[in-house]
Amino acid sequence: MSRAIFTPELLDRCISCGFCLPACPTYVRTGVEVSSPRGRIDLMRALQEGGLPDGDATVDEESSFCLGCRACEPVCPAGVQYGALLEEWRDHSWPRKRGRRLLLGPLLWGANRPWRLRVLGLVRRHAHGGPHSGDGPQLMLGCYERALFPRVSRAARRLAPALRVDRGQGCCGALHAHNGELDRGRELAEQLGRRLDGTIVTTAGGCAAHLASVLGRARVRELSEYLAEHGGGRPRAGTARRRIALQDSCHLRNGMGVFREPRALIAAVGEYVELPSAAECCGAAGTYSLLQPRDSARILDDKLDQIEAAGVDLVVAVNPGCLRQLQAGLRRRRSRVRAIHLAELLAESHDNQEAP
Amino acid sequence: MGEEHVRDDPGALRVFGQDATPLHRGRPDVVVFPGSTAEVAGVLAVASELGLPVVPRGAGSNLSAGTIADRGGIMLVLTRMDRLLELDLENLVAVCQPGVTNATLAAAAAEHDLLYPPDPGSRTTSTIGGNVAENAGGLRGLKYGVTRDYLMGCEAVLASGEVIRAGGKLVKEVAGYDLLRLLCGSEGTLAVLTELTLRLVPAPETSGLGLAYFPSLAAAGRAVSRVLRGGVLPATLEFLDAVCIETVEDFAAVGLRRDAGAVLIFGQDGGPEGVQRDVARIAEACEAEGAIEVNVARDAAEGERILDARRAALPSLSRLGRVTLLEDATVPRSQIAAMVERIEAAGARHGLRIGTFGHAGDGNLHPTIVLPDPDDAEAVERMHRAFDEIFQAAIDLGGTITGEHGVGLAKLPFLERRHGAGHVALLQRIKHAFDPQGILNPGKLGS
Repeated sequence: MSRAIFTPELLDRCISCGFCLPACPTYVRTGVEVSSPRGRIDLMRALQEGGLPDGDATVDEESSFCLGCRACEPVCPAGVQYGALLEEWRDHSWPRKRGRRLLLGPLLWGANRPWRLRVLGLVRRHAHGGPHSGDGPQLMLGCYERALFPRVSRAARRLAPALRVDRGQGCCGALHAHNGELDRGRELAEQLGRRLDGTIVTTAGGCAAHLASVLGRARVRELSEYLAEHGGGRPRAGTARRRIALQDSCHLRNGMGVFREPRALIAAVGEYVELPSAAECCGAAGTYSLLQPRDSARILDDKLDQIEAAGVDLVVAVNPGCLRQLQAGLRRRRSRVRAIHLAELLAESHDNQEAP
Repeated sequence: MGEEHVRDDPGALRVFGQDATPLHRGRPDVVVFPGSTAEVAGVLAVASELGLPVVPRGAGSNLSAGTIADRGGIMLVLTRMDRLLELDLENLVAVCQPGVTNATLAAAAAEHDLLYPPDPGSRTTSTIGGNVAENAGGLRGLKYGVTRDYLMGCEAVLASGEVIRAGGKLVKEVAGYDLLRLLCGSEGTLAVLTELTLRLVPAPETSGLGLAYFPSLAAAGRAVSRVLRGGVLPATLEFLDAVCIETVEDFAAVGLRRDAGAVLIFGQDGGPEGVQRDVARIAEACEAEGAIEVNVARDAAEGERILDARRAALPSLSRLGRVTLLEDATVPRSQIAAMVERIEAAGARHGLRIGTFGHAGDGNLHPTIVLPDPDDAEAVERMHRAFDEIFQAAIDLGGTITGEHGVGLAKLPFLERRHGAGHVALLQRIKHAFDPQGILNPGKLGS
């Protein structure tokens, strides 16, 4: 009996060839196919067909153990949209889980209404101003980014003064879509799309990919992509050549195909160093670090070892979740390496250059 | 073995009930992940005592339902045994456990300017143990041969739990029957491979790649014969028909010309001068055989991108429909154009969409039938009839039912047609000598 938990066309795409296995961080870590994209899709099929019941322990565990990094998508010749399937899976399986609701509830509540975010914005000073009229691109402030890292949006405005900032904007809904509230996630993205007319520029890879999936790719630009297109943020090299690494944002890279742009921008202001695992998830994975702290820490540890071994001064993030994860990890280790958002790095170099 | 390395939850049994073969499933009763030869031997001793089926498995990229536990029992997954034990630069061999992936071994060899030539399409995923058990081929077969040509030694556990060794770091060894050749391609029915010694060769200095477009696949097939008569042994000679060009280009966007009937991907490796000369000679042969257009890749990196795209041919085809079933018919390469025509005729006769790609230089074809609906019993029936005719055509042309994917469950019904009753009876006696109880991958080769 089919119960339409998943869009059949999405589920049918997988032919179980196994090309995804080596790209999946949880498969590489465990060597167990149940914890691979192909295995998880088979679990989804079992759920859809009734071969496994709701609440099956393995199904529930795997829906949480998956990072949702979508590294399986670019390597899939069959074109399986794993990220979309995962959202449908969590939309079905997660709302019934009480423990998870307690952890996520406050986060989702805060992001649910624009006014709540506005209050956050009053406490922390994010970007404001910019051209008040016209039809130029609009800067997205993000829900938690505006509170946790208000400097990021200010830096983005310095780099691209043409960006308009609407203070009443809400959350894009990525947080909801990735955490089992798919309809609400889409609704919020549509609301934001109506409020911010025209092109939306964001400093968060995760938000960019979600917005693009709802509003269409053409309406969304992640900051590095925007700067690459508009020639902004490319000052001459500074005097001190710092060694700088990048941590890709999984959804930006795997969902949007943006990974060359931030590298090129970094290379213009310092010595760019490619980490062996730059393209692999850092374990932040949205709310993963909150919900699966032990798995998240294990993944982060390997990453931090690499960062320290690479002898870099800075590691750049292009998504607030990754930035928070890297900062916390480096601080715990008392590392001399600093994690910084791409916008801040570029704005710093920009300001240095403009100083008399 | 430790509780965490044994799974019997319904989710795991479901997931390990499939490999990469469509329309085949079989639920094991338990999945175990041994970490050492001793643990493999222990599992087999217990299985012998209880008479339980044991199905050895690597990454599960098998395409002939060879790793399906259709009789239940123990799924023995060897992915935890993934250590590369030794790279012996003096003897030019690698010694590794069965769970090392083909790409990992190749990359480790490449660091020392060495090449492990067998490169099946699944190379990033599939394991060396699986490659040896299936005698995997790949894109370099024509010049370099297949897995069997690189297997120098192994350690294996018999069904009883006894551990045996065969071969070693030896170029020559004639002390006894060639058990290595017997175990290579035995599809997990004779023993479980727990350590492999593999031959490496010096990596070629450089490589060159070209593309020749033809109006039809048969024309590309005729060009293959002309190329090989011309005194060049190419490192790569692959082709894709129009259907495959379309889907591969949709995935990989490497700039293939979509209006051609077929493309022949040719390449050579070696010293720079030889490569340049051979690539030019192959290009000339293609032009003489009526190629619409011939291009040469700018550099090795562009060549590698094109080959990666070619490796993705099968899964790319699945963009066309929900079921993609491919076969592995192989003929003497002089018959390749004739075989292509028979495949196209079979497709037309049964009203099926067939995309064909394959290792043209090896005479190894992968006709792939794409069906929109797996539940359409009538279409599935037509597909089986078409494949039946394709197998028969291959046999009639002096070929075989499988060149590199293995017999598994999928092609077992055709084995006797290929070899005759006497041959199959001998296979059964060999199987019995290794595994008298019939617990190793039962119901497959030699059972």
